[in-house]
Amino acid sequence: MESCGPGYASPADAIKAPRETLLYTIAIYTGTGIQKPDYLATVDVDPESPTYSQVIHRLEMPGIGDELHHMGWNACSSCFGDAGMSRKYLLLPGVRSNNIHVVDTATNPRAPRLHKVIEGAEIRAKTNLSGPHTVHCLGSEIIISMLGDAKGEAPGGYLLLNNEFEIVGRWESSMGDIKFGYDFWYQPRHNVMFSSEWAAPNTFMPGFDLEEVGHLKYGRELHIWDFERREPVESFYLGEDGLLPLEVKFHHDPDSTHGFCGAALSSNVIHWWKDDVGNWQWEKVIDVDNEPHPEWPIPVPGVMSAILVSMDDKYLYLNNWLHGDMRQYDISDPHAPVLTGQVWMGGLLGKAPEVNGVKMAGGPQMFQLSLDGRRLYVTTSLFSTWDNQFYPEIRERGGVMVMIDCDPENGGMTLNPDFVVNFGKEPNGPSRCHETRYPGGDCTSDIWL
Amino acid sequence: MAMTTYRVTLANREDATFEVEGRRPLLESLREQGVDLPYGCKYGGCITCAAKLTEGIVNQRRQVALNKRQINAGYVILCVARPMTDITLEIGVDSHGDLYRNPFLDPPKHHEPKAGIAEQRLDDGP
Ligand code: FES
Repeated sequence: MESCGPGYASPADAIKAPRETLLYTIAIYTGTGIQKPDYLATVDVDPESPTYSQVIHRLEMPGIGDELHHMGWNACSSCFGDAGMSRKYLLLPGVRSNNIHVVDTATNPRAPRLHKVIEGAEIRAKTNLSGPHTVHCLGSEIIISMLGDAKGEAPGGYLLLNNEFEIVGRWESSMGDIKFGYDFWYQPRHNVMFSSEWAAPNTFMPGFDLEEVGHLKYGRELHIWDFERREPVESFYLGEDGLLPLEVKFHHDPDSTHGFCGAALSSNVIHWWKDDVGNWQWEKVIDVDNEPHPEWPIPVPGVMSAILVSMDDKYLYLNNWLHGDMRQYDISDPHAPVLTGQVWMGGLLGKAPEVNGVKMAGGPQMFQLSLDGRRLYVTTSLFSTWDNQFYPEIRERGGVMVMIDCDPENGGMTLNPDFVVNFGKEPNGPSRCHETRYPGGDCTSDIWL
Repeated sequence: MAMTTYRVTLANREDATFEVEGRRPLLESLREQGVDLPYGCKYGGCITCAAKLTEGIVNQRRQVALNKRQINAGYVILCVARPMTDITLEIGVDSHGDLYRNPFLDPPKHHEPKAGIAEQRLDDGP
């Protein structure tokens, strides 16, 4: 197909795209004690470049205290057929300030610039929403999951922006009986969206409290939406197998109904699909056991805060933030994943306290896979209050980005010895890196119609 | 009518003192006088501006970020808290030592970390 709009004609075409040479990751000072704005860091990942494995540009946000977290593109492969669209803007919401920063990455990809800020106060006043999280584009519009109402109570809803980045209002026509929001992913050919549950901002902002899980203040359900009617139609009660169901990913293949969710506290992967008679089904396919800690009275859960599906839908990657390992599973049979790779980096179990000469604080947390499935970039910070709670030494050491070499033919992963970005050495003091994206699209953004 | 002012002492800033108005949030009054304080949402919802109150009384009715344990440990949310007496505060992230508890290192009673969390609570009762 002739390339016209942004992205690629198909996942197979995306895999063949040129290798990434730059990546963007957010880095935060919010909650670290350093009174500086959070920023978007450009990292040089071109091995031929003299500044390989270094931060080459920092775009500071206008004020302090945003807590940049996840981010998303204004357009992806879902607009491939639209020559009027381009992947030009990266949206960076601040979870604490509610400000949404629109950043132009196209004019100068090495040095992105701020294009516009949608003020948090305006979002709260016009839509009664707060706590922005996942950003997905949707044709020429953008939807953002918002975890709370203007007072920080659940369930929040979905903010809809137009392509001028103006507030249109609420995307959903109803939240049904949904108790909490978090992540979402849609699969247009099946007119379906899946959404997951973390907790109300008023619950997760003060730090993680196990007691509140027992008090049902954290999520344990997945929700299936009629995407066109913009309302939930069915829910899966996952119970103890699905405590804190966070990231949801469909297969990239637009015909597939298979998808996965990582339940962070249960440290399980939930698989869903549509069966032969057209009913949605779910099952637990991966279960990471809690591990004893040498000095602590309670075994530590993995805390699987993120999952990722490779562009060819063959591998699923997951992290155990508290244990300290990244894993690769072959999901050729989505009902029966097979563990094919594991790398230790940081974590509480003491298995890899130092990586490529950098003393780790934190564990593997967010990651982004190259389109060809060969390079996995991993960062270590989760959320400032939770970092401070579980890895207090991160205040002095900051976050780290490493690269894991992945073998998409035979499976397997190894830590790359030549790449490490130590955010503990940033000019304004130790910052913490989180989500990563590439200028040309990545494995956690693009959806095909 | 003369406005009511109170004296704020910052214990971890060499006992620096400031006069502030009783009807205005502490974050605003202190920042105006040059105190560098962390903040995020400015409406009491994100805990970023938490400080430890070691003497005196504030009104922080509008805060929604702190849980009961944190309030009992003396934490106050400066972006919405207003002084009702002279007060002493420890400010900034260096005052956050008791703000967070690691539930696996220092667990509350009656807990299992994985399977059984929900049932345990429901079966055991309070
Ligand atoms: S600034 Fe968010 S609670 Fe005060």
